[in-house]
Amino acid sequence: MRDAPAGIPSQRRPLARWWSRHWHLFVFLTPAVVVYGMFMAYPLLSSLSYSVYEWDGFLRRGFTGLSNFVTVLTRWPYNERFWGALTHNTWFFVLTFAIQTTLGLFVAVLLAKKWRGFAFFQAAYFLPYTLSLVVVGFLWLMLLNPTWGMIAQGLRGLGLGEWVQPWLGQRATALTTVILVNAWGWLGFPMLVYLAAVQAIPQEFHEAAFVDGATPWQDFRFVTFPLLLPSIAMVTILTFIWNFNAFELVFVMQGASGSPNYATDLLATFFYRTAFGDPTTGGEPGQIGIASAIGVMMLLIIGFVSAFGVRFMQRSQTEY
Amino acid sequence: MIRITRHLTVLAAFALLGGTLAQTQLDFWSWRTEDVAAYETFIAAFEAENPDISVTFTPYLNTEYNTIVSTALQGGGGPDIVHLRAYGGMEPLANAGLIVRLDDEVEALAGFDPGILLGATNRADGGVYGVPFALQTVKVLYNQDMFERLGLEEPSTWAEFLALGDALKASGVYALANGASDPWTVETLFGGVAPTFYGCDAFFYDITGGSTDFTDPRFAAALERMVELQPYMADNFMGVGYTDMQTLFAFEQAGMLVGGSYELGNMAQLNPELRVGSFTVPGDTADAEKCTTFYVDGSYGINANSANQDAALRFIEFLASQEFGQMFTDELQQISAVPGTQPTSPALARMVEQMTDHGTPYLMLTAFRFGQPSGSTLLQNEMQAVLGGDSTIERAVANIQRGVAEWFDFE
Amino acid sequence: MVSSPTSRLLTRVIIYGFLFVLAVVFLYPVVLMVLTAFKPTPEIFRSPFGLPESWSLDTFATVWQRAKFGLYLRNSLLITGGSALLLLVTAAPAAYALARYTFKLKPVLFLFFLAGIMIPIRLGILPLYLLMRDLGLLDTPFSLIFTYAASGLPMSVFLLSVFFRNLPRELEDAARIDGCNELQIFYRIMLPLVRPGLATVVIVNVVPWWNDFFFPLLFIQSDTWKTIPLGMQIFFGQHLVNWSLVFSGMVLASLPLLIIYLIMSRQFIAGLTAGAVKG
Repeated sequence: MRDAPAGIPSQRRPLARWWSRHWHLFVFLTPAVVVYGMFMAYPLLSSLSYSVYEWDGFLRRGFTGLSNFVTVLTRWPYNERFWGALTHNTWFFVLTFAIQTTLGLFVAVLLAKKWRGFAFFQAAYFLPYTLSLVVVGFLWLMLLNPTWGMIAQGLRGLGLGEWVQPWLGQRATALTTVILVNAWGWLGFPMLVYLAAVQAIPQEFHEAAFVDGATPWQDFRFVTFPLLLPSIAMVTILTFIWNFNAFELVFVMQGASGSPNYATDLLATFFYRTAFGDPTTGGEPGQIGIASAIGVMMLLIIGFVSAFGVRFMQRSQTEY
Repeated sequence: MIRITRHLTVLAAFALLGGTLAQTQLDFWSWRTEDVAAYETFIAAFEAENPDISVTFTPYLNTEYNTIVSTALQGGGGPDIVHLRAYGGMEPLANAGLIVRLDDEVEALAGFDPGILLGATNRADGGVYGVPFALQTVKVLYNQDMFERLGLEEPSTWAEFLALGDALKASGVYALANGASDPWTVETLFGGVAPTFYGCDAFFYDITGGSTDFTDPRFAAALERMVELQPYMADNFMGVGYTDMQTLFAFEQAGMLVGGSYELGNMAQLNPELRVGSFTVPGDTADAEKCTTFYVDGSYGINANSANQDAALRFIEFLASQEFGQMFTDELQQISAVPGTQPTSPALARMVEQMTDHGTPYLMLTAFRFGQPSGSTLLQNEMQAVLGGDSTIERAVANIQRGVAEWFDFE
Repeated sequence: MVSSPTSRLLTRVIIYGFLFVLAVVFLYPVVLMVLTAFKPTPEIFRSPFGLPESWSLDTFATVWQRAKFGLYLRNSLLITGGSALLLLVTAAPAAYALARYTFKLKPVLFLFFLAGIMIPIRLGILPLYLLMRDLGLLDTPFSLIFTYAASGLPMSVFLLSVFFRNLPRELEDAARIDGCNELQIFYRIMLPLVRPGLATVVIVNVVPWWNDFFFPLLFIQSDTWKTIPLGMQIFFGQHLVNWSLVFSGMVLASLPLLIIYLIMSRQFIAGLTAGAVKG
């Protein structure tokens, strides 16, 4: 009412009255809705529609229904690439998850003791997270180089030259090596989140457990761990999303085709090759429809799993 | 004197236009990051003759160049002058009308060898869309000093070639600098080794004509030879990438390298002391037919959306001139595609001679990069797996055939 | 909890030993990177682990010039800064409205933003790319600024709305009595009170933006607007033969964030974990 012009009975001008009470909401919300709607919601939604059209370069041709999906899932070599990449992404996630919820969690619980010098350790573990994946990739590419790399040289210096292997060049080790390099750059983050969550647990809970005669393991198992579940769930969801989107490290270290012979190919590199690829260097260029189908399947996988994860997280949320 | 008169003409032009003579800016994109200095020399020469045009050369990373160019051109942007890939790498741009057809515009093109023009021809309309710039040939490069020191000579049979490898290994260096970490270098290895054993041009015309396919035993026999070279490659060759290969050969840790003629220029930069010889992979007997791969590396084209068509055309005409061709050969130690140019370095002259004597088109690049999956993609990855011990020749052949048959009609 | 002093000491030693080994795993590669950056290539191969024979900054200078590092640094600063500004300007008012008013569309808007938290914007890259092309934004910093701000919005709106919700109602009422309108209440009273929240939002987003490689790879073509990760990736690829240049480039590329991190690692860590835990 304050803003309504005097003298005009507001009942006769419901729109004006409504506006005078709500205009500030428009001012507050419009910028965010426009930027987010235009540059995020719209692209994500329309990528769904891209996948049901045939494309000629960046020109849209006729509607093709689900045929792009059928191509990706059934036609060789697309199907082999797709299932291969999906398997690699899954292994990427499983291994990263395993490392961060064992090693990461363990270190977080230790660091929560806040002994002397622990601030240094905490800072050290987190430092690689501040590096760009481009730097992480090239750094390890050089460290792992079997001819001149520091690791090979170090092993040879120790008389262990036999152990030197083309870690990134052979099928058996390439993907796992890339995942471990990724873990090196990433682990600081889950550690920190777990550390913050452990520190947020009221001290009395632990004291009560020890009064009841609990061992440190039992304290962890029955006090710390249950209270950490929401954080673990959240970090796991984030990890899943990022690992199913992983691109940079493989692109930088193994090239867009996930060398050797697609052993490190991921959904995102497969997508990139198909949409923006390069025939000179082993890509299959400009197949926007097929690339969109791959993208939509990534979207579905990520969407479903993270929605499911959020449900789980909400159920595990404990009030204290 | 010519300089001075030219300057005077410019001054006169300035005076006439009342000092408003505007310079036309041309953007020129390329993937030749190694050649920046050389291109600056070429451009300086062009600008001296055409003071009203200035050209900016911007190179992009080899492996990302195609993506960058095709997305920029499709977006209606991009440079005025485009360094184009050859064959199937150029065709989509021509088909989409993104680059200008040149055979009626550039007179000098008529003097080019028709076989060379194929590298810039759109098969759909038969039009030439670029001025070819370089020919490449794949050879076995070797370290001449090392060979002389060890008393080794160019081989005349496959057995002698392998014996060379044993001798080099015994002397404490790697025989071949080749690795298989970067998939495309596997195709280079194929280009250097395979043609002699699949039967050179005969097989090439059989398969491109459709009268045989990749299951032809000649093809598998040729792949077999690549695998035979495995013991001669660097330790951990699956982890040896392209730059490692260059370094191994340039700094004399390996005696030979199966590589392209473009390596001559690279080696001159890395280690100017190195004397590089070359030979064609010999057959089983000294009088067996032997041959080596050659191909057109790419061409220079004009962006159809360029606002400076006239200036761009003048620059393209310069790039088709013999003056440029000779400069190109001299500066870069590469084989110019311009007719009538003479290689000045003996190493390059030798390669040109070998190429003319027994050259055969680069199989996958010139004939099987027109559809997806391309023959190159298939060959690179399948053979990488074979060399890594994860696959077999039979499987590689079956997959290459299956992939190419997705879009190529074998009879 | 009965344990003898010796066994407790032993536990301590084991724990410290373990954490130390882990610190070596995380730190040593970075230390090695910095040391190697000072060595010429032959020295890298000859003595990979020793201290550099001279601490010359020549290669850094070479990288600075040849890789146009100064230009990339400026671009990265402008783009990250611009994105942060746009993000704050859009996210803060929206979060405020969602936190402190009730209106019919609120649950819908909430869901609208919530949907974006879990879906990475990369999956919309093709339409986004064509949108940028049609808007003429390709190869300009705005393509990145809009993309980054939009992708940071959902999480930031939620984070900030938590901060706004925790502010006492009385502040608002008092301001209203003083005759402030809704915008003034937000801008003068409430916004300054959530400064820690704004800082958190900036820290959470700036690290991934600064290091992002994917969007510049696709949106930026000419040198003029390349960011550090993209410029360096291309530079590394071109000079892979010259390890000395590559290592110097890696150090230069990492330095800005590394310095900020070393100076204010506490705020950095606090901001990041707050972002993660609250979100």
